[in-house]
Amino acid sequence: MMKQTKAPYFFIAPAVILFLIFTAYPIIASLYLSFHQKEDGAYTFAGLSNYTRLLNDSIFWTALSNTFIIFILQVPLMLMLAIILASVLNSQLLKLKALFRVSFFLPAVTSLVAYSLLFSIMMQNNGLFNELLGYIGIDGIPWLSDSVWAKFSIVMAMTWRWVGYNMIIFLAGLQNIPEEMYEAAAIDGAGKIRQFFSITVPSLKPIILFAGILSTIGTLQLFDEPFNLTGGGPGNSTMTLGLYIYENGFEYFDFSYGSAVAYVVVVLVAILSYGQFKFTGDKS
Amino acid sequence: MKKLILVLSTLAVVLAACSGGESSSSEGDGGGDSTQTLTAWAWNINIPVMEEAAERFAEENPGFELDIREQGTPDVYEQITTGLQAQGDGLPDIMLIEDDRVQGYLNNFSDAFLALDDYGFAEDHSDKFPEFKNELLSLDGSTYGMPFDAGPGGVFYRTDLFEEAGINADEIETWDDFIEAGHVLRDELDVAMTGIDINNDDGVYRMMLNQQETFYFDEEDNINLTSDESIRAMEVVQTLDEEGLNENLVGWDAWLAGLADGEVATAPSGAWLTGSLTEQAPDLEGKWGVFPLPAFEEGGNRAANLGGSNFMINADTENPDLAYEFMEFFSTSEDVQLTAMEGGLFPSLNTIYDEEAFTESVAYFGDQQIWDMFAGMMDEIPPANYTGDYSIARDEAETAQSEVAEGNDVQEALENAEDRLSNRINN
Repeated sequence: MMKQTKAPYFFIAPAVILFLIFTAYPIIASLYLSFHQKEDGAYTFAGLSNYTRLLNDSIFWTALSNTFIIFILQVPLMLMLAIILASVLNSQLLKLKALFRVSFFLPAVTSLVAYSLLFSIMMQNNGLFNELLGYIGIDGIPWLSDSVWAKFSIVMAMTWRWVGYNMIIFLAGLQNIPEEMYEAAAIDGAGKIRQFFSITVPSLKPIILFAGILSTIGTLQLFDEPFNLTGGGPGNSTMTLGLYIYENGFEYFDFSYGSAVAYVVVVLVAILSYGQFKFTGDKS
Repeated sequence: MKKLILVLSTLAVVLAACSGGESSSSEGDGGGDSTQTLTAWAWNINIPVMEEAAERFAEENPGFELDIREQGTPDVYEQITTGLQAQGDGLPDIMLIEDDRVQGYLNNFSDAFLALDDYGFAEDHSDKFPEFKNELLSLDGSTYGMPFDAGPGGVFYRTDLFEEAGINADEIETWDDFIEAGHVLRDELDVAMTGIDINNDDGVYRMMLNQQETFYFDEEDNINLTSDESIRAMEVVQTLDEEGLNENLVGWDAWLAGLADGEVATAPSGAWLTGSLTEQAPDLEGKWGVFPLPAFEEGGNRAANLGGSNFMINADTENPDLAYEFMEFFSTSEDVQLTAMEGGLFPSLNTIYDEEAFTESVAYFGDQQIWDMFAGMMDEIPPANYTGDYSIARDEAETAQSEVAEGNDVQEALENAEDRLSNRINN
């Protein structure tokens, strides 16, 4: 009997220990750091000074607003595209389904650096994108060097990378919608579009919530695209909270302040996720 | 209760096993019987030079081994910063650090690097290196690093395009001449003069500050972005951009591609660009040349530095004497530095400038003696005061450069940058 009660703990021990070392410890350590300041090489308690400093830091506010602009544009756009793609790929009529699924999913597993590099080359003023636009008579767009377009470029790159990933999540959700519902709807005279909005979308609600929360967390921590594509520029127009945390730590050697910004992200993620639960979740 | 105790004891056992493993492996790295082994972090073309130096050093010091870990430049910095933040845990004995990082590390982690004064590096060797390097590597009168390569600046230009447009490079003596030549190039061939990444790279502006004996900060560490020199320099960048002479190439790869495919005709840059050009655009052999940076007035200083790197020793190294001896050998051995030169690095050790390698004519640059030209500049390069706040200052200077390119007034943009910078530093 005794042996049987011990066994489960041994089994979960590796996961728990890894969690404690690589997740719990950094979380606590950065909370500690955010209340301290480095003076002459030693950390001294600094109360809330790192947090009050945030209030007057214009770059922090810019980063916060950039992050939200990108979040508001990108997450709905990407989720909508993903649902549409998933429905199309789920259709009985389509041939070569596996090929399409793999093609759309590939960006999510592509090397980040390679993909950023290609995007940055295609988005130069004389790059592929502008060349193609030139053929249809549209003047070159300053993809990376204009403060508005640069944000849009980040949104485009993120969408390209993550649509396939969310599509797979939705595809899995679609498998659980009984075929009879569509048949019944068809008999009642509902067209494909009506079916999509009245059956597919409501049935996918919990999945949309799940994908929405994942994307929210991902966007609030956004780092890779601005770091590799724009470096946060022009000016600070694509500076995000994630990039600002990194710069404070690794460029300006101010880990305490970086930790304070990181905790702002934590709080924001918690609030937004809670809001999404309330807004879309089941009452039960 | 029993369960809890069980969980905790399991944890303790596993944790103990983990930490046990760690300490035994770190002993293997530095101590034990491997007292003749040093570890180093470096990147790219520096690695073969270090290997060669280690081999030569081992001839005199049997049993010496150098264990180099090669990584990309940003990775090296991330790990050095992490290691410094962890009070030196996990750092190697020897670190390669570029010019613009040195003062940031020294100011923020003052005890982390071995002071070379006890070993007499400055007394024995400072006259073998240019003044600006010696100043860069010292803080409060102590020396903390050994100079390696330097980046004397020049304007790399396409001789064939210049000829086609009827421009004589020898006649470009001032930045005004440079801009004028840019117009000719645009009118005649519709080619851009420069490929400055306006939003992310202020390298040209920084070289212009340096050549005018100023920098982001003055000698007393006061912010100096609104000096006359700074305004003049930023105006050159604004003119290049406003008058359509600059192609805004975003990022290093796009810039090199622009140079390789003839979109851009010149590159004001450090001597190290030689290596990248010959590698990325081998078919342009014979079509490149270099002339010194234009001055701000005729007869003004045309020497400045951009980039370059140095070696610093971990203060906690288990073997400081050996690390010093090896690095002293590395930095002052003429043979080693000539090897570096073959790899495309420009050594700052001035005792080798009269070697044959420096007077050779270089085929890629139409048989121009470019090394001789760069070597002649080294003594003229003014020191730059980086301070510990260089990264923040650079961030603000680049923001100002973006604003200026969007048509804002230079004076105003630099004043705003100065205000923001002073806010950020004093926080």
